[in-house]
Amino acid sequence: MATTTATPASGTLQVISRVAASLLGSWLFVWGLTVLGISLGVWAGADYRQMESLMYLLAFPVFLVVFCWAYAAVSLKRVWLILAGGGTLMTAAAWLLIPSLAA
Amino acid sequence: MFASFRLSMTWMHTWLGLVLGYVLMICFFFGALSVFDREIDRWAIPETRFEPQTLPSFDTLLLPIFERMQPSKESLAQASARIGGKTPQHTSAAGFGAYTTHRDPVLSLFTEYHVTNNPNDPHDHVFGNTTIDPRTGRQLRDDQLKIGSQFFYPLHFSLHLEWLEIGYWLVGIAALVMLAALVSGVVIHRKIFRELFTFRPRKQAQRSALDLHNLTGVVGLPFHFFFALTGLIVFAGIYFPVAHTMLEPVHELHEQRELAAKGLAFEPAGVPAPLASVDAMVAEAKRRWAARGMSGEVGFLSVAHVGDANSYVSVYRAGTDRVTLTGQGIHFKGTTGEVMFEEPPPSTIEGITDFLTGLHLQHFRHWLLRWLYVMGGLAGCACIATGFIFFVEKRKRQHAKTGVSGARWVDAMATTAVTGMVIATVAMLVGNRLLPAELAGRGAWEERIFWFAWLAALLHATWRSAPVQQARISPAWREQCWMIAALCVAAPLLNWITTGDHLIKTLGEGYWPVAGMDLALLASAVIAVLAAGKLRLREMGVARPSATSTDAEAAHA
Repeated sequence: MATTTATPASGTLQVISRVAASLLGSWLFVWGLTVLGISLGVWAGADYRQMESLMYLLAFPVFLVVFCWAYAAVSLKRVWLILAGGGTLMTAAAWLLIPSLAA
Repeated sequence: MFASFRLSMTWMHTWLGLVLGYVLMICFFFGALSVFDREIDRWAIPETRFEPQTLPSFDTLLLPIFERMQPSKESLAQASARIGGKTPQHTSAAGFGAYTTHRDPVLSLFTEYHVTNNPNDPHDHVFGNTTIDPRTGRQLRDDQLKIGSQFFYPLHFSLHLEWLEIGYWLVGIAALVMLAALVSGVVIHRKIFRELFTFRPRKQAQRSALDLHNLTGVVGLPFHFFFALTGLIVFAGIYFPVAHTMLEPVHELHEQRELAAKGLAFEPAGVPAPLASVDAMVAEAKRRWAARGMSGEVGFLSVAHVGDANSYVSVYRAGTDRVTLTGQGIHFKGTTGEVMFEEPPPSTIEGITDFLTGLHLQHFRHWLLRWLYVMGGLAGCACIATGFIFFVEKRKRQHAKTGVSGARWVDAMATTAVTGMVIATVAMLVGNRLLPAELAGRGAWEERIFWFAWLAALLHATWRSAPVQQARISPAWREQCWMIAALCVAAPLLNWITTGDHLIKTLGEGYWPVAGMDLALLASAVIAVLAAGKLRLREMGVARPSATSTDAEAAHA
């Protein structure tokens, strides 16, 4: 199993990076998705609590998909780019939107 | 890194399953016990062995108790830490709460007090709590531990690691890994339908462990998937705390608008005013529920801004008759008793959330479904335990040849997580019956017994695991099975000796909380003895595994 898959030279670092991407990267991605989803919903006139419930329902299935993808994807660079990069972008977008919602 | 999609899923399944499997064992086992947490409470606190009660009169029985209650020592200590070690000054009670379920003979009461000398937080609070016998109003000693609802139940979602909520996060990661393990398990095995009917207990341990791993995994798949997912949704606010971080301004605005729309005051008016009859409000709430065709006993009742002109009383229905979390809260003006706001039916999205959470929290009255939950939880334990055994069996011969000790350590940890966990649980129950009734801090001693018994099981498993290094079975499994059997017989016997409630009596009276516990303990003893016998045969090599060409197949799985 594991012994047949990882190349010994860069193996350990690869493994750590992939596990970190699957947990931290995915968390950041889902965080971004959740705050942006709620913010966009409230901006479009939806009720805050409704949007929060909806995003919480979606958060974990999405987390599961990106978590598995973090292991299945061939390019680890792309995994980090999409999860951490995407998460940061969505968080930043929500951060720009929020001040106008609380006014 | 991985040669194929299937190999990537196999790697993730194996290694994350191994590391988080230990946490998952705790979640599934104590989650299964939590289905009967109130019944375990009855067994552990004999003075509460009577029939479930409905909410007693607030005006005559509860109000005087609420007014006598004081903040708890723990709550005052926490508040003191928040204000730099000073003694917290507090007001008289500003809020009351009472909570019960259809399985509770006792009633839990809560009080809330404003802290007046915290300059950093003008809204700082301390809390009081007590448990009463609702028939008489007598308060129970607060150092008695409700082992089911205050120890096993929180253990399954917080691991009792409260610092930085680290236990919740570990459980959250474990739940996510459970979901991923189910997905990757399906990817790895593919022949899902065949796994449902495949169990070859007489084959090699590696083969039969894998069969049982697949069988329990496939049979329990919908159950396990749902419980891991709904568990995450229940604590979504901890894993993604949006409302108190980035979105706090939006959330606060929404809260204030919502309360204003309901006509409920966010702050006290500062004008003293008496409380009208709460019993009359409860009667009105029941009348309104009945008008909607719903059976109505009160599950939760709270009074906000006690003694103030802005006080209001909220009455919620106990959810006994449907899966979804109910409530149908009705809010009354505290000073007059008039209805201020009746909560409308939930929206579609909230309805889905309430249903999913209700499915996990099972407040409903349905004993068959409760037992199915227990079986589902135990099937989860069997699935994880066989995963550990398969991991060890697959590697131990190789490790024995090369002198690697990995399999031995995994085996010792697995013994601790499987039989050791049961030993700790039953040792706690035995301790509960052996500790002197008047011992101060009794509950804390019971907790110590639990953790020390578990630690002892770990040391024993580690000490006895040397044979795994020679590719044999660790005798720790068998010895711990005998320990479980002894404890599981001792517990009902001690229950009989210390309380007089033996099985003939409890069964004759139909008092199932205690009879059920005793029967479950005795059944566990029988299973443990049978398991010990089987393990002995395996250790002696009597049950020569019928090694066949299918071993190659097992090695591939």
